[in-house]
Order: sequence, then C-alpha cells, then structure tokens
Amino acid sequence: MFRMPQTVLGRAGTVLLGALMALVIIGYWAFRQGIEDVAVSLRERTLAERLVSIQRTIQSIESEDERDRTAHGLSSTSLEVHWSKVSLVLGNASPTTESTAIENRIGELQPDLKKQRMRIGFADDGALGTGPTQAYAHMLLISLPLNDGSWVNFATPTVGTTYHLPYHILLTTLVVGCGIALVAMVLLHRVTQPLRVLATAAERFDLNSMDKPIAEHGPLEVRRAAHSFNMMSHRIRTLVSERTQALAAVSHDLRTPITRLRLRTELMDDPELRALIDQDLGDMTAMIDATLDYLSAGANPHGEFRKIDIVALLSTIVNAETDLGRNVELVGLPHALIVGDVVSLKRAFSNLIENALKFGTSARLSVCESEKMVQIVIADDGPGIPATDIERVMEPFVRVETSRNRSTGGVGLGLTITRSIILSHGGSIILKNAEKQGLNVFIDMPITR
Amino acid sequence: MDELLSDPAQERRRDDYGHILLVDDDAQLRLLVARFLERYGFIVTSVQDGTSARETLERGTFDLVILDVMLPGITGIDICRELRATSNLPIIMLTARSDDVTRVAGLEGGADDYVTKPFNPREFLARVRSLLRRARLNTRTSRETQPNRATFGQWSLDFLRRELISPQGALIDLSTGEYDLLVVFVEHANKVLSRDALMELAKARMSDPFDRTIDVQISRLRKKLELNDEREQFIKTVRGTGYMFAMPVTFESA
Repeated sequence: MFRMPQTVLGRAGTVLLGALMALVIIGYWAFRQGIEDVAVSLRERTLAERLVSIQRTIQSIESEDERDRTAHGLSSTSLEVHWSKVSLVLGNASPTTESTAIENRIGELQPDLKKQRMRIGFADDGALGTGPTQAYAHMLLISLPLNDGSWVNFATPTVGTTYHLPYHILLTTLVVGCGIALVAMVLLHRVTQPLRVLATAAERFDLNSMDKPIAEHGPLEVRRAAHSFNMMSHRIRTLVSERTQALAAVSHDLRTPITRLRLRTELMDDPELRALIDQDLGDMTAMIDATLDYLSAGANPHGEFRKIDIVALLSTIVNAETDLGRNVELVGLPHALIVGDVVSLKRAFSNLIENALKFGTSARLSVCESEKMVQIVIADDGPGIPATDIERVMEPFVRVETSRNRSTGGVGLGLTITRSIILSHGGSIILKNAEKQGLNVFIDMPITR
Repeated sequence: MDELLSDPAQERRRDDYGHILLVDDDAQLRLLVARFLERYGFIVTSVQDGTSARETLERGTFDLVILDVMLPGITGIDICRELRATSNLPIIMLTARSDDVTRVAGLEGGADDYVTKPFNPREFLARVRSLLRRARLNTRTSRETQPNRATFGQWSLDFLRRELISPQGALIDLSTGEYDLLVVFVEHANKVLSRDALMELAKARMSDPFDRTIDVQISRLRKKLELNDEREQFIKTVRGTGYMFAMPVTFESA
C-alpha cells in the first residue's frame, strides 16, 4: 500500500511529482490524439483520392492482362490493389457502423464514389467474398465496380501505420520534469527550513536553558508559527519563574524560623523530646532543601563546570558514609575525569547512595569506562522497584512504597533532582532491577581526558 | 548526625572562652544564638547590620566573628573582605544553602568556615570551638604572610578555594579532614611527622567533628593523590616514626 511520506518536503514532492506525471501523460495523450486525428483524416483523404485515381486508371485500360498488371503496379504496402471479375467484398455483407462511417467519409471526400456501387467491409466482420481469409486478416476491404462489371478491389490495413514513440519528446519531457522537480525540491527545502528550526526548538525547549528566541522568517504561516512559539516559550518561562520564585522564597525564608526552633530546643530540659523535635526539624530541612534543589532543577546557581575526578568525588561520599558505619564500597577505576559541577554532582550521587541505603543495607559502587563514557553502577540489596513503577520513579513527587519500606522521609524529589543533574552533565541514568535482588542504577557520563 | 554528637559536647570546656561578635538581621536569632553560646562561657556581642558591625569592631577586640551573608545594606561578604584586609580574625559565615558555599567560604570573602542555615546548634558549637582552637594555635606559631597557593610537582593546592588540582588540571575532591591533613603535610614538607604530631596539627585545623584515625585519613589521601604512576608516592611512611611529605613545595601569594 502506498504510504504518504512523512515530511512536508516528501509530501509536497510526491504531489508535485504526481501532478507533473499526470500533466505529461495527459499532454502526451492529447498530443497523440491530435496527431492521430490528423493522420487518420490525411490517410482517409489519400485513400479516397487513390481509390478514385486507381479506379479511373484501370478503367481506361482495355486489356485484362494489362489491368491486372497495372493494379499490381499501383499497389503499395498500405494499399493492395487487385483487378478481378468479382468483387472482393460480399455484396450482401451487412454494413457495420464502422464500415458505414468510412463509407460516408469517403463519400464526403469523393462524391463521385458515392454514386457508384461501392462495397466496403472489414475482413474480420465476414465481408470477405473471395480470396484467402488469412491474407486479408484485419484488413479494410473496398471494391469499386468498373463499367464492364469487373471490380477493382482494395485492401488496406485497418491498423494505422506503426506509430513509433517519439523518444526525443519523451527525453525532453523527462529532463524538463526532473529539472522542475529538482528546483522545486531545493525551494521547498528552503521554505521548510524554518519549520525544522521551529520543531527542533520545541523539542529542545527547556526551562533551565535560556535559549535565544528562534528567528522569525520564511513564509507567513511559518513566521507566525515561529512568533507564536517565541511568545509561548516566553510566557511559560515567566509563569514558571514567578511560581518558582514564590516557592523558593517561602522555602528559603523557612530556614530562619527552623534555625530559631533548633536553638530553642537547646534550652529544653527533656532530652527525649528535644531529640524528637530535632528529628522533625531535620526532616523539614531536608524537604526544604529537596524543594529548592528541585526548583533549581538540581543546578547549582553559582556552579561552574570544570574538569573533575569523579572517582575522588565518589570516594569522598563513600568514605563519609563508611565513617557513619554504613556498608558502602567503591570498586573499579582509581581515577576518571569528567567535566562537571562538584556541588551538584555530589548532591546527585549522595541522593543515589542514600536511596540505596534507605531501601537496602548496603551499596556497592563500581566505576568503569568505555571510549567515550564513564559508567558508574550503584547496586543495592534492597527490594528493588516494582516493574510497573520503574518508569515513573524519576518523576517528581513519586514515591514507591514497598513492603520492606521503612518510614522514609522526603517528598519524592531525590531521583528527579538526580536525573536533572545527570542530564545537565550530558549523561544518562537508568534504573534496573538486579536479577536476584536489589536495584542497579546505571549512570553514564561523557569522559574527558 | 545528631545522635553521633556525644553528650560531652553539651558540657562546658576548659577553652570555651572568648569574645564573639555576632552579626545577623534577625533579632530573635541573635538572641537565641547569643544565649546558646553564653551558656558555654563565651561572651557574645550581637549587632544587626554591617554598619554597626564596623563600629563595634573598631571599638572592641574580638576572638571570632559570626557573620550572616544576607545582611541588609552592607553584605556579610563585604564586611568579611574588609576585615580580612586588616586582620586574621577568625570568621564564620552563616549562609543559606542556595548560596554557593565555596564562594562564601573563601574565594571572595576569605572566611574561615561557614555554617548553613538551619544549622544544628551543637555542630555550630563544634565549629566555633575548632576555629578558636585553630586561631589560638596559629597565633602561637604566628604565620606572617598567608600564601594563597602551594604547588608540589605538578599538583597545586588552592588555600582560598580549598581545592586540590591534579597535574591533568582536574579538581580532586577532598573531604574537610583530608584537606586539613594535606595542608598540614604541605606546610611541613620533607619533615617527619609522628602520628601524635599529625593528630595535634590536623585536629587544630579540622572543623570536622568526626575524627578518623590518622592512618585511615592518610590512606584515603594517598589514594586520591596517586595518579598513573603507582610508585609516585608523596606521603612516605617512615617506619616506626610516622609520615613524611616527600616533595618540594612552593608557596605563592599571588
């Protein structure tokens, strides 16, 4: 089945090619029709004239032998002429519409012939009176009477002279057609360029990167689309940034009251109660931090991208966890250089290690490299993530509750933040359940040397 | 973290003395911090903005300044910079987490330490104590010019940004403990340091309240310092005595 091409260029090209082909075919058909009409009328006229002249010539000859010879002499490939005592065409052959049409036409052209007892018929219609059927197949037969009762018999092929395809015309048409198609394609490509730019801009649209507005040029519709896109992205940015600022301001301002509360608890006499309040305040702080991280999409506002040793960074985190008595190990490459921001990367990997330890009892980090990437795998021995949830755990505010889940603080932003950070470093992050038990997190980041 | 801070931190210590200037625009917070520190025997003078901080600093003598970064008018960073130009007075900055910690910690302001709000009071106390101890030790050993950077081999250690840069130009992340230990080594290059001496020197520097044994710290530091050549070892073990940083060090103040 024919499938329409997907691109504007493809579709326009298809339509154009179709139209061109239709034009060529119809034009050619009309041209041939015209030529044929001319050819047919010319042939009929020639035929009628020849009928008359041959009849007169033979009429004027007395000798029977001479008549026969002359008839032969006047024959040509397109018109066989015989003289005979009998008519080639049956006298009682029923006229067909075609034979009648030819008869009338000839009659019109040569009114003399009309007055005679001209017999016209097609051999194929059974009009052949005498002679071998085979020889006269597909022939138009005409018999004209002479004064003495003998006949001049004509036979002419019904099919027109073999018509050769005019190759030069075909070639010219083809070349011109290809030329038009080529020029049209180039023009179309240029016209659709702004559309592609628009599509790319829409695909890459990212709240965190302040892309320049896309250029508004090209055809009117495309210009309008580009303009609307620019307006829309501006509105989205403004809207999001206003909300973000409001939320960030609130989160930020909560720090001072929480600090005050922490200091106030120091004045309390009940150590148990103080510990509980401290824990709550710790949770609140974590939530505020997570929210602020999420709002800044994990990007550190003053962060700078520079060459860093990712293994050194990971070992700082791992060592700190080890010091707290947690079961974390780091294996693999001793060094691997990437370009990144230390503060946000620390946040990303701390989140992942914290998660591994929250849901399991141990975390194992391994670092290896390929030609272009550093791969860091963080494996835990926890329950993993149900297959149905594995896709959405990195969405904001999604928390996976599993049977073995302890009371886990947080608002479900850790993985979202981590993902934003990894993506902003040109990396990728994939979660996979391990074959036996636990979750494996695969992080790939571009290596630098 | 909280539960790991043992109870002794709650008690007043022998060296918990000194005059602290606290600059913060939140009146309640000023009051609470002052009350908290006074409980341990510190004398606290608190002011609300940069202008009064300047005046107070001119009039009195202080052992430590606690500065909020976000102050109305003159910012904490401004005061810190002014103060650094004339004295070595220890400074702790109070920051919000969204402020770039490294920027506040030293690069621009030259502060000695930073604490992010909302801070844990006991952790805050530990930092105050550690900084005071360090400052007192430093006045005894009296370091006149403060270098900004030390280079050894193709490595460089930036004191302002507290960063170690490898020969490949890559930033090698160090924990506070590792950084402090490396600074001690660099400052005492080509001298054999006993475990006790290292402990004493590093402890004075360390703001990290969780001390690891020196051996663990050194093995971690070695791991981060070794690149390419396994034999290239800066920190040599001197059998029976201790460790030595066997590498010529150049200090720069530029």
